[in-house]
Amino acid sequence: MLYLSQMLGRPIRDLEGERVATVKDVIVRLGDDDHPPVTGLVARFGRRNFFLSRWRVTELNEHGVRLNSDKLNLRPFVRRDGEVLLARDVLDKQLIDVDGKRVVRVNDVQLIETANDWRVTGADVSFQGLWRRLAPAGFMGTRTPVEVLDWADVGYLATDAATVQLKSSSGKLARLHPVEIARLAEALSYHHGSEVVESLDDETAAETLEEMPSERQVQILGDMDEERAADILEWMSPDEAADVLGDLPEDKAEELLGLMEDEEQADVAELLPYADDTAGGLMTTEFVTLPHELTVGEALARLREMAETPNMIYYLYVVEREGSWKLSGVIALRSLILADPSVPLNEVMRTKFQLAHPDEPAREVAQRIAEYNLLALPVMDETGDILGIITVDDAMEILLPKDWRQRLPRLFS
Amino acid sequence: MAESRAAVVATGRRLLRRGRGVKPPSGWRRNFLGFLAILGPGMIAASAGNDAGGIATFAAVGAEHGYRLLWILLPITISLGLVQEMCARMGAVTGKGLADLIRERFGVRWTAVVMLALLIANAGVTVSEFVGIAAAAELFGIPRFISVPLSALGIWWLVVKSSYQRVERVFLLMSLVFLGYIISAFLARPDWNAVALGLVKPSFSLDYAYLFTLVAVVGTTISPYMQVYVQSSVVEKGVTPEDYGRTKWDVWVGTVLAILVVFFIVISTAATLHTHGLHIESASDAARALRPLAGPYAEKLFAIGLFGASMLAAGVLPLATAYSISEALGFEKGVSRSFREAPIFLGIFTFLIAVGAAIAVIPGLPLIRVLLVTQVINGLLLPIILFAILKLVNTRELMGAYVNGLIYNIGAWLTAIVVTCLSLLFILVTLFPGLARR
Repeated sequence: MLYLSQMLGRPIRDLEGERVATVKDVIVRLGDDDHPPVTGLVARFGRRNFFLSRWRVTELNEHGVRLNSDKLNLRPFVRRDGEVLLARDVLDKQLIDVDGKRVVRVNDVQLIETANDWRVTGADVSFQGLWRRLAPAGFMGTRTPVEVLDWADVGYLATDAATVQLKSSSGKLARLHPVEIARLAEALSYHHGSEVVESLDDETAAETLEEMPSERQVQILGDMDEERAADILEWMSPDEAADVLGDLPEDKAEELLGLMEDEEQADVAELLPYADDTAGGLMTTEFVTLPHELTVGEALARLREMAETPNMIYYLYVVEREGSWKLSGVIALRSLILADPSVPLNEVMRTKFQLAHPDEPAREVAQRIAEYNLLALPVMDETGDILGIITVDDAMEILLPKDWRQRLPRLFS
Repeated sequence: MAESRAAVVATGRRLLRRGRGVKPPSGWRRNFLGFLAILGPGMIAASAGNDAGGIATFAAVGAEHGYRLLWILLPITISLGLVQEMCARMGAVTGKGLADLIRERFGVRWTAVVMLALLIANAGVTVSEFVGIAAAAELFGIPRFISVPLSALGIWWLVVKSSYQRVERVFLLMSLVFLGYIISAFLARPDWNAVALGLVKPSFSLDYAYLFTLVAVVGTTISPYMQVYVQSSVVEKGVTPEDYGRTKWDVWVGTVLAILVVFFIVISTAATLHTHGLHIESASDAARALRPLAGPYAEKLFAIGLFGASMLAAGVLPLATAYSISEALGFEKGVSRSFREAPIFLGIFTFLIAVGAAIAVIPGLPLIRVLLVTQVINGLLLPIILFAILKLVNTRELMGAYVNGLIYNIGAWLTAIVVTCLSLLFILVTLFPGLARR
């Protein structure tokens, strides 16, 4: 086992033991391997950097490097695709520890010699790792066990080298809950936060974005490739998507709306007319309506058959007939399950329920949801048509004091 | 159905073009709110310079040297603005704090040097804040061995166990008392001709007291922690290069306003103390300059302001220091963590408060002198931070098109070099007092 810090600056000797150069950096190829292999070294001689393939190295330890020939092939170093320089791109940078769900800084890199090559096995994030680099050589007091993060748990590497993103990173990150991904992305700088979101698949990216503050949503989607941004917007809930579009510059918003699939485009467009601080601006158009002539059994069967079930099915909205939006009652999922399957819906539904008008102030509606312990509240227009529903989580976002929603204690008001 | 959907989409697009919503917040309101939201980092950072150490330094400048040192305010406004702007710009372009950037670009050893400098400078300033608390309490007749430990415990508890932000505003409000210096300066009927002359006519001397004051002035205005602070609050606010224009304004406006307050502090102390040959030895001397405004209440008024400003900084500063160092060295951080989870972070925070309070409580400590000395330490350590900032802001890999322009660089380098020379000169004069006499 070897640490990167123990190698940097050490001599490179040829077959005769003659010192020919010093170790400047270690090249690693990131791929699907959990523990990426070392492919070579950057050697420094004079004031130039040269590439040294790992096949020319016979010995690699804390005393330095020994070559298998007495000739030094002076091939200038050029970075190739997918290659990472450990000292330049990894050391001192931040990365996401998927296992610990945290952002850490790399104090040192651990390498282990396997059958025929050297592999990166871990990132040292401990104080000892720091001390190893700070203290003069030989000053390393006790060899206490250090906290080394398994490289297989590295979900994202916050480095500026553009071509080197971990291929498997999105897969590892996707193991986390979108809330956690959002929190980690926010702990990074906004460039790297955007990169994290972009590396996710459309659905996870949408869910992660929904957990982020609206300014970040706007910034991330605004900087992204338009096609990709439209794809992610389609996966977001229509009310969130409408909010983001409303906050984006007009041209951009129009372009993104135009790129969305017809169905989602219409859902979002429907919500755009309402101002942010009204019930209309808070509502979503994802809800289930059922015609009232159905029986309880038929209603349940229909729920099961739905291709895309909205998230919010704890309340079902009963309308006058198929295709109508005229709301005549509400059924809680609980009563539907407990009721006799052969009774028609209009015998189980409640005809008295709380509702909101689209122009009502958002805050009042949110308070009503909290007061009546509702999970959602239908929004109806003057003609009695249901336009959408306001769910309890959107209501909470308004009601909770700002500090509660923030992850970090704000240092600077 | 398909037709109506198309109509809906068309309406949606039209609305997007017009700005969304039936009842949108009208254009000016949105702009204004946007401006307010982003207005801040520079303003707050610059006015944070007017803390206990700052007040003491500038009151001493006025009392000891009259209007003779006013000229330094012009170059220092430009330097402060330049330095603050560079940090704000780095925050907006990279989205990272100063400590982060130092660690990522300069490696561990340099990080350790810079962080050590920051730790010492900030420990000094923390001491000065507690000294300010002691001085304020003494004006109310409360001995320091009661006021200082109580405030230290109070601040520690508020930050770690409760919500410091809630009380922060009270302290901020209290510190607004110092705006009274502006009125006081006018009421004191200064000799405006002398003021104008002092503002444009540079003076210089190798005299120890003169250099001491000069270094203290630089140290308290362009203090290292302000640069770290302004950058992290820009990052925290999520400012990006696109909306950076407003932040730039904010920084410059904040700088000018802060120096304006300083300007009037110097005038009012010069007019009330210097003209009568009085020196500043205690807080009540400094309070004297508020007499034209508040008469017999000057002391109490001054005490309130000093207490507010000191409490504000005594909470924020150790916290900001702990954040910077933990950030740079990669330790767990956050006040919601326990000692077991974030030992270094909470350790630094607690250590700074404890040291600050312990020194401030020493009986017979010459308070004003200590305040000035801490600012001098700031000034001496400033070059280290300045050169790091300059190196970073000119790294194209990091800043892309946002590196300094030529003229900008000349101004910034000049600032760094002058500050360095001043510090070296001061150290020389301190070590070899003979130099000054010749």
